[in-house]
Amino acid sequence: MSEEDQILPAYSQPFLPAAIRELTSSGPLSGITPEWAWGGSTGNGVKVAVVDTGIEYDHPAVGGQVCGGVNIEWDETVKEKLRYEPVEHPNDLAGHGTACAGIIHKIAPEAKLYSVRVLGTSMNGRAYQFAAGVDWSVENGMDVVNLSLSTARQDYFAMFHALTDDAYFKNILLVSSASNFNEPSFPSLYSSVFSVASHAGRDPFTYYYNPTPPVEFGAPGIDLRVAWKDHGYVIATGNSFAAPHIAGIVTLIRAKHPELTPFQIKSILWACAANVRRV
Amino acid sequence: MTNPNDPKGSPLAEELGRLVQALAAAGKTILPGSADALLSSIVEAAARIFGAAAASILLVNEAEGVLVFKVAYGASDRDLVGTSIPINQGIAGYVAMSGQPIAISDVAQDTRFNRDFARSTGYVPRSILATPLLAGERVLGVMEVLDKINAPSFGMQEMELLGLFARQAALAIDQAQNTENLSEAIVLSLKRLAASDAEHPADNLLAALEAKPEAGSQNDLMKLAAILQEFSRMGEAERAMVLKILTDFAEYSQNQRRLNVGADWR
Repeated sequence: MSEEDQILPAYSQPFLPAAIRELTSSGPLSGITPEWAWGGSTGNGVKVAVVDTGIEYDHPAVGGQVCGGVNIEWDETVKEKLRYEPVEHPNDLAGHGTACAGIIHKIAPEAKLYSVRVLGTSMNGRAYQFAAGVDWSVENGMDVVNLSLSTARQDYFAMFHALTDDAYFKNILLVSSASNFNEPSFPSLYSSVFSVASHAGRDPFTYYYNPTPPVEFGAPGIDLRVAWKDHGYVIATGNSFAAPHIAGIVTLIRAKHPELTPFQIKSILWACAANVRRV
Repeated sequence: MTNPNDPKGSPLAEELGRLVQALAAAGKTILPGSADALLSSIVEAAARIFGAAAASILLVNEAEGVLVFKVAYGASDRDLVGTSIPINQGIAGYVAMSGQPIAISDVAQDTRFNRDFARSTGYVPRSILATPLLAGERVLGVMEVLDKINAPSFGMQEMELLGLFARQAALAIDQAQNTENLSEAIVLSLKRLAASDAEHPADNLLAALEAKPEAGSQNDLMKLAAILQEFSRMGEAERAMVLKILTDFAEYSQNQRRLNVGADWR
């Protein structure tokens, strides 16, 4: 199937070659270029949390940049129902978190990575583990948080809304993947996050801006070679792998321009998108 | 048949006990979910439509922390059903944990994955598309199609489409689980009711409810249920004929029973 023939799930539809809208950037904003935004940046000094299945700390794809993290477990026996276990050398239950961390490391090789493991065997407490992972990242000085997971349950709308606004006001960049199903999922639909779906390209720095949100950015997410469990690699598809591309790029921008806030960085991402022409 | 002369039990208690058994069989008849046949046909249809060499459905067993193969189609399907894999490991595990689908290919590059999967299934796929079976946000299990024929991997479009198949399978499974829960709830409340009435001890009822159904009679009931389900798929003329035969037989057997009971009373 050629790129043109692809049919993508709902949230990735705006990033099909035929659907991508050409936009223009004019006036002073047209002076913003990828070279200015992140040229020469390695992500040095920026802390990135990956809220997921964990990160395999010694996987070659993360280049020794994993600096610890936390495992958050659902535990019915304790009062708060949540158990936090700090980890120096994190592991990964499935491979998914390592895949995301590997993508971020490839783009921002000197950023420090933190594993926030919130997925586990508990089926009951998933949304609360997830929320606790976002909260932990906010409270522990992370600059960028990759969220390649979401919840579709309306009951949690307010909880995640409050959490992501809190992060936004604290100058933290949350990057959230859209659901692969045609359903609203949180926190990917909030304006306080960088919401990402997939396009069919492979170049890690080619991404598009969608002028008809909620999903604002399209990054590579189809048939990518990604790191997996036990020092392995697989070819994987899903919006999960699009989000860490944007997380990697905002990490570079944060490292080079630490004074910029989330909304400013979002404007810069818009200005540097592959479908925005500078006039 | 109820034997009123049986000193062990009262007719009412036995009747109730049998009613509960019949309820389980009725669930099998009216709810397609109880019949693995529907799930089998869903995985087979998915495999054919997505051009996959194999497909399967795994169900969450949270108490044991495993995913159990419920139905399988294609390669090594016979041995797979009933086996389990840890719920927090591998690709199916990730899907169960996250509630999101994923497409993975070229797993042969990953030696550990290969070994583990081969050990649990006797079969190493090149490509996998796995999607959650959801009842609301509760993950009931995972549906997967394996080895795309004529292509190296499953695409994103197939990811969304498989989600639609999975929705049907999840509905059937959810209904089946609810019927099971319903039968259990009825038995439980009958037992409570019996125990709470001190004036009229109902030991017979309790014994009847607790009695394990005789394997032979239970099997017969289930066979009957399966045949009834078969009727639902027949043409109108066949159904009318079968209905006539069954009605006649029921009438005949009721008459016989009345005669027998009458004989006992004399």
